[in-house]
Amino acid sequence: MTGSSPSDPVVLDRVTKRYGGFTAVDGLSFRVAQGEIYGFLGPNGAGKTTTLRMLLDIVKPSAGSISILGSSSAIDVRRRIGYLPEERGLYRKMKAIDSIAYFAQLRGLSAGAAKRRASELLEEFGLEKFARSKNEALSKGMAQKVQLLATIAHEPELLILDEPFSGLDPINQQTLETLIADQRRNGRTIIFSTHVMQHAERLCDRFLILAHGQKRFDGTLENAREIYGHRLHVRSAAPAAAFESLPGVVAVRLEKAGGEENLYEVELAENADPQAFLQQVVGAGIAISRFEQAGATLHDIFVSLAGDDASEAIAEAAE
Amino acid sequence: MKQVLLIAWREYKQYVFSRGFLIFLVMLPVSLVAFSAAMGLVERNKPTRIFVVYDETGQYTDDIDREVERRQLLQALSAWDAYLNAYADLTAVERGEIAPPFAPDAVNDKRAEAFIAAGGFDVAQLAVDPYLNASAMPFEVPRVQFQRIISPVPTDGSLAQIETALRPFLLDDERIEMPDGTTVPLFAAILIPADFGADDDASAAQYWSRNLTDSALESVVNSALDKALKRQTIAEFGLSQDTLDRIDAVDAPLLSYRPDRIADEAELGLEDRIETAMPAALTYMLVVIIFGVGNLLLTNTIEERSNKIVEILLSSVTAGQLMAGKLIGIAAVGLTMPAMFLFGGLAGSMALTTDQNFLSLAISSLFSSPLLLIYLFYFFCAYAIFAMIFLAIGAVSNSLQDAQSYMGPVMILVFAPMPFMVMVFQNPNGFVASVLTWIPIYTPYAVMMRAAADPPLWEVFGATILMLAFAIFLMRIMGRIFRNAILQSSPPKARDVWRLARKEKH
Repeated sequence: MTGSSPSDPVVLDRVTKRYGGFTAVDGLSFRVAQGEIYGFLGPNGAGKTTTLRMLLDIVKPSAGSISILGSSSAIDVRRRIGYLPEERGLYRKMKAIDSIAYFAQLRGLSAGAAKRRASELLEEFGLEKFARSKNEALSKGMAQKVQLLATIAHEPELLILDEPFSGLDPINQQTLETLIADQRRNGRTIIFSTHVMQHAERLCDRFLILAHGQKRFDGTLENAREIYGHRLHVRSAAPAAAFESLPGVVAVRLEKAGGEENLYEVELAENADPQAFLQQVVGAGIAISRFEQAGATLHDIFVSLAGDDASEAIAEAAE
Repeated sequence: MKQVLLIAWREYKQYVFSRGFLIFLVMLPVSLVAFSAAMGLVERNKPTRIFVVYDETGQYTDDIDREVERRQLLQALSAWDAYLNAYADLTAVERGEIAPPFAPDAVNDKRAEAFIAAGGFDVAQLAVDPYLNASAMPFEVPRVQFQRIISPVPTDGSLAQIETALRPFLLDDERIEMPDGTTVPLFAAILIPADFGADDDASAAQYWSRNLTDSALESVVNSALDKALKRQTIAEFGLSQDTLDRIDAVDAPLLSYRPDRIADEAELGLEDRIETAMPAALTYMLVVIIFGVGNLLLTNTIEERSNKIVEILLSSVTAGQLMAGKLIGIAAVGLTMPAMFLFGGLAGSMALTTDQNFLSLAISSLFSSPLLLIYLFYFFCAYAIFAMIFLAIGAVSNSLQDAQSYMGPVMILVFAPMPFMVMVFQNPNGFVASVLTWIPIYTPYAVMMRAAADPPLWEVFGATILMLAFAIFLMRIMGRIFRNAILQSSPPKARDVWRLARKEKH
């Protein structure tokens, strides 16, 4: 964790949640800084939703402490928080505008202000025609937008979005990305959990990767790449064994077989220097036609850190 | 508190301003009026039932005719009393301006005779006209129920032959032509054999009719023949016809009094009858409303749970606030219904020009006694008990189907004392009434039912304290189940529900 400050809006310290003999979250600590977008990544059952529910004081932790917007309980500051749960719903018989206004009122706006704000948001997001439609008459995408607008209507300082992209079509995903970016520009702090690595990669300043209730990573993408290790792409007619015998090489994988040359991914030891490796290749008389550092994607890092469950989660998200 | 009221208001608005509720609110009194009007209409328009009598003895036909006529007159007299109760200023009765036999009173032969002697319904109508309200229509004498006609088949054969000849008429294969040209079916045939009588070896009279459900004529004939045979038997002891008539006319006078009133005011009147029946009516309304609103709570908790709205709500309010808001909102829905009917009744009674009709008496009896306050208190008690049960069931169910498995036993528990409530009504300070009063979930109903009978105060207070303690205990247990189960994605198994009740799971 870098650059932490006492005024960080979210601080978790060794938080654990147990259900009987099952530990859903195990000694989790992290901080979210003011104005940043913080991504929660993890396969299904990693403890993301439980952590978010503990943050909101919907579920009490078994151990550890939580500070949210300077308070030990979200109940005291709930008017400054906007929460979009993973499993979302609206009152079927309620009108779209009333739904947004109702939740805004529950979070502290007056009746008049809530109605005005609901109306403005519906117009801003192109839903003004459906303002007086009952929720049951809205398409799934529109209903999800209404839910999102209900989350931000009271202009919270901290937004907690649990899988906000799930179930949205690509156009609405783009709209949501824009909305999240806008919220950040307006100084809001945002925490969101997702399975979709592209969104996280594009939007998040920092990430938390969880697996089996434990923290596997907390930091920026650059930090993650450093941990991920040195990987090089090398194109050569030489066999893989020629590289494997060189000092500092951990593994060599055939990325792409070619007619005359193959593309290899060479993984170096943590303290090995790529330049030294190149000199050894030249010194060994191995001819190469390409040499570059492999750029690890968040996908690679996630799969590497979260294990086999992560691949499954990503496949599900892709579906 | 603001959030609690906001949730309560949403719950209230959702139901009270829904089309279904408004339709129900309009439809219920309309359908009650329509139902009673339809019943009256059916009764008035019931076709006159035609019957024939073959009396081989030649003695009993007149007895049957007299009994038919007598019943007809008593029925008309009952209708007359109902007419006055609905449309007349009953203070005129108290002042003696509507005098016997026209004033509402016991319906018996003596009064019927006096009524006819005083001029019958035409004179009666003129006598009461000044005391009727503006909406009153002239009294309509109910249609004649039964009419004896001359035989449609030859009567010179044996009873068996006559019966065979009548069968096509009784089975509606052949119809009887009336003097006005219409044809009607034969409703019944009464065959009285020559050796009919009271002796053990005498033959029985025969009543033939295809209609087995309408036994009114059968009862009239039975009563007529019964009386005739009794008169014959008494005559055998040497009594004169005049003496027999006097014996027949005997009708024991009986007036009912309340021992809790001073002598002059002790006689039981309509107002007293209403006062006595009112707690039973309110208890019935209490049961209906508690279960009506309980079901609303159940279905909307299931909706919030299955639609996943509950998690958004719980990020804005605590589970306790959510529960309180729901309870208050739905309680208000439950009170809206009787309040609307009460105000409707009040408006109706004020709209009527007389102030002593049945509706006015009912309303004044309700407002002049503590019944309304007792009703409100026990409404909230019963509501607290049952609403929490419904709320907890809603919290552990993802669908109405899930809820059914819990609702079965709850319904049995709830409706188990209903058959005993009749006993409480008839004997409000009896053993059954006492037992039900001390069972906390039945206390509200039992005390309501006994309210007009001055039950022992210690018993009411004791049972009420026990009920309140039970309600608080139940609210805690059910509240825990609600808070622990409401966020579980899959409903807990029935055997795990008590585990949820034992401790806070968060």
